[in-house]
Amino acid sequence: MLSSIIAHIPDWLVFFQAAIAFLLPVGANYLYNILNAWGNTGRFTAAAAGRNAAHKDKTALSASQPSPSSASGTPFSGNYAADLQAIRSAIGSNSDLHFREFPLTKLHTKGTLIYVDGMQNDRLLNLRIMEYLMFEATADTLASPLNSVPAMPFSDLTAAADLTAFNRSVLFGHAGLLIDGMPHGLLIELPGGANRSVTEPVSEALLRGPRLGFSEVLSENTSMLRCQGFSDGLELKSYRIGNQMQKDLVIAYMKDIVNPELLQEVETRISTIDSDFLAESGYVEQLIEDNWLSPFQQVQNTERPDRVISALMEGRIAILLNGTPFALIVPVTFSMLLQSPEDYYERWLPGSLLRMLRFAAAFLALMAPALYISFISFHPGLIPTELAISIIEARQGVPFPSIIEVLILEVSIEILREAGIRLPKPVGPAMGIVGGLIIGDAAVNAGIVSPFLVIVVAVTAISSFSIPMYSAGITLRLLRFAGMLFAAFLGMFGTILFFLLLCSHLTKLKSFGVPYLTPVSPFRLRDWKDLFFRAPLSLMKRRPAMLKTQNDRRKSKV
Amino acid sequence: MFTRTDDKITASQAAVFLNNSVLGAGILTLPRGVSEAVKTPDSWISILLSGVIVMLVILLMVKLSQQFPGQTVFQYAGRISGKFIGGLLCLLLAIYFVVLAGFEIRSLAEVTLFFLLEGTPIWAVIVPFIWAGTYLVCGGINSIARVFQIILPISIVVLLISYGVSLRLFNLDHLRPVLSDGIAPVLRGLKPTVLVYTGCEVTMTLVAFMQQPRQAVKAMLAGIGLPLCLYLLTVLVVIGGLSIDSAITSTWPTIDLIRSFEITGFFVERLEFPLMVIWLMQMFCNFCSFFFQASLGFSQIFRLKLKPVIFVMVPLIFLASMVPKSVGDVFALGDAIGNMGIALFILIPLLHSGIWLLRKKGVKQNG
Repeated sequence: MLSSIIAHIPDWLVFFQAAIAFLLPVGANYLYNILNAWGNTGRFTAAAAGRNAAHKDKTALSASQPSPSSASGTPFSGNYAADLQAIRSAIGSNSDLHFREFPLTKLHTKGTLIYVDGMQNDRLLNLRIMEYLMFEATADTLASPLNSVPAMPFSDLTAAADLTAFNRSVLFGHAGLLIDGMPHGLLIELPGGANRSVTEPVSEALLRGPRLGFSEVLSENTSMLRCQGFSDGLELKSYRIGNQMQKDLVIAYMKDIVNPELLQEVETRISTIDSDFLAESGYVEQLIEDNWLSPFQQVQNTERPDRVISALMEGRIAILLNGTPFALIVPVTFSMLLQSPEDYYERWLPGSLLRMLRFAAAFLALMAPALYISFISFHPGLIPTELAISIIEARQGVPFPSIIEVLILEVSIEILREAGIRLPKPVGPAMGIVGGLIIGDAAVNAGIVSPFLVIVVAVTAISSFSIPMYSAGITLRLLRFAGMLFAAFLGMFGTILFFLLLCSHLTKLKSFGVPYLTPVSPFRLRDWKDLFFRAPLSLMKRRPAMLKTQNDRRKSKV
Repeated sequence: MFTRTDDKITASQAAVFLNNSVLGAGILTLPRGVSEAVKTPDSWISILLSGVIVMLVILLMVKLSQQFPGQTVFQYAGRISGKFIGGLLCLLLAIYFVVLAGFEIRSLAEVTLFFLLEGTPIWAVIVPFIWAGTYLVCGGINSIARVFQIILPISIVVLLISYGVSLRLFNLDHLRPVLSDGIAPVLRGLKPTVLVYTGCEVTMTLVAFMQQPRQAVKAMLAGIGLPLCLYLLTVLVVIGGLSIDSAITSTWPTIDLIRSFEITGFFVERLEFPLMVIWLMQMFCNFCSFFFQASLGFSQIFRLKLKPVIFVMVPLIFLASMVPKSVGDVFALGDAIGNMGIALFILIPLLHSGIWLLRKKGVKQNG
């Protein structure tokens, strides 16, 4: 008995292996915790959420105020000359700032119009506003009984809270007005800086569907959302975010559909953003996402207003930032990354077919090189014999193991793709032909790679272009290399392990509280109508169950 | 609540969890194990009978667990039979789960080394697999159940397709005559068939994790019903296709059946490859389930945090998987596990239900 027990005690090598098996996950966990703690400073975290809730009043306050320093912002003195002097000394050194002093004839007093070059319609400023101020404005208009803002005939007219805010707005492009005898500086005329015209979205082109894409101007973008239809449900909430340079940010949602808890969550995360400057909505995305270590995006970005509005109608929330045509949609699930608005615009059969095609393409883009490596290097016996023989014959001249072979071609294709973005438009196609066709052909002839691999890599590359979200495509490109490494080490077993790890990661991932793989798991049968299939519109009677909307009926009669 | 903070699973998730804990190595080995014991083609009757027995066992476990809502067996056993005895039995159960996890992963490694990765050192297969499992188990029962939900449908579809295609070899004569030697061989086959259901002990912890424990009976019976059907199908198809004699002589009869024919004009000529893929994934589920149960057991018995316990389990499971020296040892370990499972069944659910009933009656009479 004892001897048989002793005989079964593994030797010291096994214990050594066990120690390694123990140390690696512990080390990885330790590293993960350190990384997480380090990377989460200055961004939203689930752990900090409770703390934030306590400090919410404070953060909300600082979000609504122009800047943290504005608590001590200089107030208007009420004295015209002193205020003007203060403005001059604060921002007067800017060469593009104009001070236009003028008399108000009916009032026998004077005022100053302050504006920045190029941000105002000069003609309007000169002809209408100056004319009105100099010759028509009377004492009544300045002393309005209604509120603190005088009754002047401008649609955009606000009184600045203090000098700091006034200066800031003037430099942002508002026309500022300072009148002798008025306690506040006034802001008239919205800034009208240079911007481009509205064009078709470049990154999300469709054959069928609206051609309208967002532009860089926030007010235009919100107006595009409003233009989608008559409703009093669409609500826009404005924030001003940034410590050094502030930017306007708008949260859009349907107030009678969205889940209030989700809205609360988004607002909390937005108000905890602590950043100098938000250059693009990508900054917002990275500062509010749940898990910054995940390769998957947890916020969807889009330039299509129609996509945003249909997401809002499902009960999601959109975040728009001034200065970028990319709006963000939260929460996002994995299946959304493979859906295109066109699925809904075409009839349901072609829509479903295309959608399934995209799922297959995503699988290929992720797995094809890994499968190639594991079949060629490890299990040629698992593919049909004739095929295996012809592949091996074609590979005879190739001096590398399959992983090196695949890496050579994959990396060069990635380089080609990266270069393609930067190539000037007239050169692009020519370079594509040189890079893709000639180099591929030459590589095969030179015996560096096998012709079969060229097919695999080309199919992979094309498949990854069929994914409607560009950023999701990048994720799959990234993970493809991880899959290739797994396959190179353990063949089919490694590939399966890679798939299982990916599944494990995806099931842990959440986007604003919604599990990333819904409706596959947690299983929500109702939402399967809009997953691999796109059910006929008449059958999609309810909004997605995963969003727990207030009002989940899409039709008046269910 | 928009964001769920509690780590609970739905009834369907619980059913899938139980199913994936039970459905594992047996798919490949059951036809041999049962045929060896029965020696007549009546093994499918044994499967049915043992399935009914296991269902009764599970019913007992659920009923017992429902008396203690929100508590796993590791927590309530001490309340029934006293801290010391209860703790000891629970420790036994937790060790049982460790050994079971080691066994599952070892049989996985054996199959992988035999069919996929000849010549690879065995630790190179086992260790990455344990690591992948660790990553999943750290996510808690919800993540595990969700991965199971993804994998199960794929497994079932591939399994059914493989069996369906292999029907071309099916010969009803291999299954005849029915009950030629009377009922005795069927009863002999009960033990090896009950053994493939080892792992159903997870029921005693699953009920505690359910959102609606009242649906537990239905969920758990559904969870054991599916593997019962699949095992029955496996035995019918394999013995019908290979005949009882070749089923006894081959190590992995199911794979041998699938390897024995070719489908021409298809990308993969033999379905053994997809079968291997889903079997590996199914084993991963199996392994993760026991890994989680073992960690949960140790953490609840000794009142430790779950995560450090998970990490400590890694080398233990590795050692457990390395104890058998050969394939023969692995199968011997499998038998030992089966016996251990029966002993544990008598000790924990049966004994504890008895004590609980007595105590309750006693309270009533006194009150």
